Amino acid sequence: MSGTNSVSRPALFSAGALFSAAPLIIFIVLLIYLGISAPNLTDPATINLILKQSVPTVVVCLGLATVVVAGGDDVVSGGIDLSIPATAIICAGILADQLTNHGSPLWSAIALAAVAAVTMGVLNAVLVVAIGMTPLLATLASSVAAVGVTKVITSSRRINVDHPFVIYIRDANVAGVPSAVLIAAVFVLLFCFAVHRTRWGMQLQAVGGSRDAAEVSGIKTSSLVAQSFFIAALAGFLASFFVLARGSGSTPGSEENLLLEMVLATFLGAAFSPRRIVTVWGAVLGAVLVTALSVGFKSIGVNVFWTGCIKGTLILIVVASAAYSGRAQS
Amino acid sequence: MTLPVEHILEMQGISKAFPGVQALDKTDLFVRKGSIHGLVGENGAGKSTIIKVLAGIYTRDEGTVSINGAACDALAPAVVHEAGVRFIHQELHLVPYFTVAESVFMGQEQHGVLGLAGRRMRRRAEQFLKESLNCELDGKALIRTLSPAEKKLVQIARALIDDKARLVIFDEPTAPLASGETEQVFKAIRRLKERGISMIYVSHYLGEITDLCDEVTVFRNGATVAQLNRVDANSTQTIIHNMVGRDIDALYPEKKHSDGARMFSVSALGDNSRFFNVDLNISAGEVLGVAGLIGSGREEFIDTLYGLRRAEAGDMQFDGRELKLKSPADAVANGIVLVPRDRRNDGLVLNMSVGDNINLASLDEVAWARMEKRGLSLKRANELSEQIDIRPRNPKAITRFLSGGNQQKVVLARWLATQSKLFILDEPTVGVDIGAKVEIYQLIKELAANGAAVIVSSSDPQEMLGLCHRIMVMYRGEVVEDTPIDAIDFDSLLALSTSGARVASTA
Repeated sequence: MSGTNSVSRPALFSAGALFSAAPLIIFIVLLIYLGISAPNLTDPATINLILKQSVPTVVVCLGLATVVVAGGDDVVSGGIDLSIPATAIICAGILADQLTNHGSPLWSAIALAAVAAVTMGVLNAVLVVAIGMTPLLATLASSVAAVGVTKVITSSRRINVDHPFVIYIRDANVAGVPSAVLIAAVFVLLFCFAVHRTRWGMQLQAVGGSRDAAEVSGIKTSSLVAQSFFIAALAGFLASFFVLARGSGSTPGSEENLLLEMVLATFLGAAFSPRRIVTVWGAVLGAVLVTALSVGFKSIGVNVFWTGCIKGTLILIVVASAAYSGRAQS
Repeated sequence: MTLPVEHILEMQGISKAFPGVQALDKTDLFVRKGSIHGLVGENGAGKSTIIKVLAGIYTRDEGTVSINGAACDALAPAVVHEAGVRFIHQELHLVPYFTVAESVFMGQEQHGVLGLAGRRMRRRAEQFLKESLNCELDGKALIRTLSPAEKKLVQIARALIDDKARLVIFDEPTAPLASGETEQVFKAIRRLKERGISMIYVSHYLGEITDLCDEVTVFRNGATVAQLNRVDANSTQTIIHNMVGRDIDALYPEKKHSDGARMFSVSALGDNSRFFNVDLNISAGEVLGVAGLIGSGREEFIDTLYGLRRAEAGDMQFDGRELKLKSPADAVANGIVLVPRDRRNDGLVLNMSVGDNINLASLDEVAWARMEKRGLSLKRANELSEQIDIRPRNPKAITRFLSGGNQQKVVLARWLATQSKLFILDEPTVGVDIGAKVEIYQLIKELAANGAAVIVSSSDPQEMLGLCHRIMVMYRGEVVEDTPIDAIDFDSLLALSTSGARVASTA
């Protein structure tokens, strides 16, 4: 009974373990299939492209992972922020409108976008922490509102941006690596460190693991949850630059795909972690794999609508598996 | 006169009233420095209230408190913590996927220049568990891989890791543990005593109290009724006498039991975790009581009888047939009914009318071609509410607005309507006022008189003794007694539930 225990993992071949590993297995099978059907997927140039394409998803995933870590990974009642892509889109819309339509200087465009992001963060934090709404509903509502405001700002039209700053993020390479990838890598390292290697991050994880346990350990739980929504909005703000660069401007409706990929990647990422929990680095890895899947499907000529169906099904499997292992643990 | 005793905690003349209840009435609690102090009393005696006053969660109405010789006028959680008082809650409050080290340092994580000092925390946690709690654990082990006792020790380590604790309050620390596991926790507690830490130990298990504690305070009805400065195995009798100190009221209907045919039997039933090897036999017309404290496996055993939990060993026979239950629906289909303990959540649809709730389990009988016959169902609901006196006598009243006792009667009425043969009543009178209790007892008696077998599970010893023909007592997952009612009295029932053995009667 007692004595030393080593870190044990779920038995490899039990039905439950198989089900919780299902998303990972399906993913690997799909990637192998794509690797065979589209051999150029492993070319350095293609990998560079995949990394570059994945940057907006990676950055919004940083935000979602932080919220899930602080709120717990229960898919319904735990932490989730569906409004991060909408925050990215509203910021991108403001940046595009300011830079192209109003000819504003970069700093003022950025300041306006930051105001929008802060508003989103405060709104979500108030809805969830002060009013006590379920994060799922609160952020869905704020997401719909933000998308609406974006349409008002951009008149629901595409706005091209050719500001040198955006062009730099889009085109520049440093030592053969796209600048966007390098910038995103810095953000990833910062988030990984903050969430997994600091006192603040451990307390965030404690809150997500058990609100009561954190409370009796003297941790300020409400404040940490509020902070996580704030950081999520920050991630949305940061992602907006990469969204602009990837599309060479702001495009209405681009939040939908981003939302899909963000949720898929973040919860898929939990399958990579030995403890089967959502982590920052897992979400980042998930985001890159999800993008690889999209790029792969495109390169073998799969209809883009079918790609959507496949991703939707994958989300279903990933979330169902998360719900299942959550139930098995409790 | 003896020399003044040095106390780590002196709570004197503490009173605390809530609307309609005097929870504490000039209560005293003195804890000698370096001792393990047992605090006992029945449910509602004021144990939790005084602990919450000490914790600074409730403000006392009057009385003085001094910790380690220093008077504390205003108690607040931060003040008490600063004074070195730590609370080990009954709930574990652990995250299953955290490591031992992460759990021990939760809220007081150690930081180096480059982020968390993981290795330092791990070593310190391992060292603390070993030296202060007598427990060798790997700091990297995940909480979910630990035994219940080890989890408890991790929880204790978290409260004490800052080495500033001087008085530790344990609230039922062994409640979730099986009997073999408690020793590990006791060893840890004794080790803490060697290290000079004073402790208050709150428990219903009197065996543990006499085993572990140096002194005991007994509460009854919010007042201190006894302070024992020395405790040995013979103290149990004194403690029980002081805890109860009242007579059993003549609440209960006269018991008549005719030997009926064997109705239901269970042999060697177990779930391999909370209860083991349980045998049970009940005949038609009999009321059988299942007694045991919370954590004794009684609740899990009862849930298994009803198909809510799966049995891992043993078998059940009902009416001469073997019974395999996969779900409560199976049980109902076999004519077994349960009145659950949490009736508001499990037993009633609160927003439905009384009549609809009554007919819920017997819709087939008031329906024609799957459509409810409104008139018939109302008539039946009316008859039943009259029979057991549900107030208001209106089947259309919304269940939510009935009192607790009347809600319980609605649940009973529903099952009366099913003409079942075996009734399992789990805490049938919790939250019910005394008048309604008497009516519920009467109803149970009628059920038995009509040939049903009734199993009553309850944590109220008086209720058990007044109501049942036979009582079986569970202690730490096992049946320690199965006896006709006239061979057991209140004291031995309490002793069996709290220590697993009868106490030699001193009377």
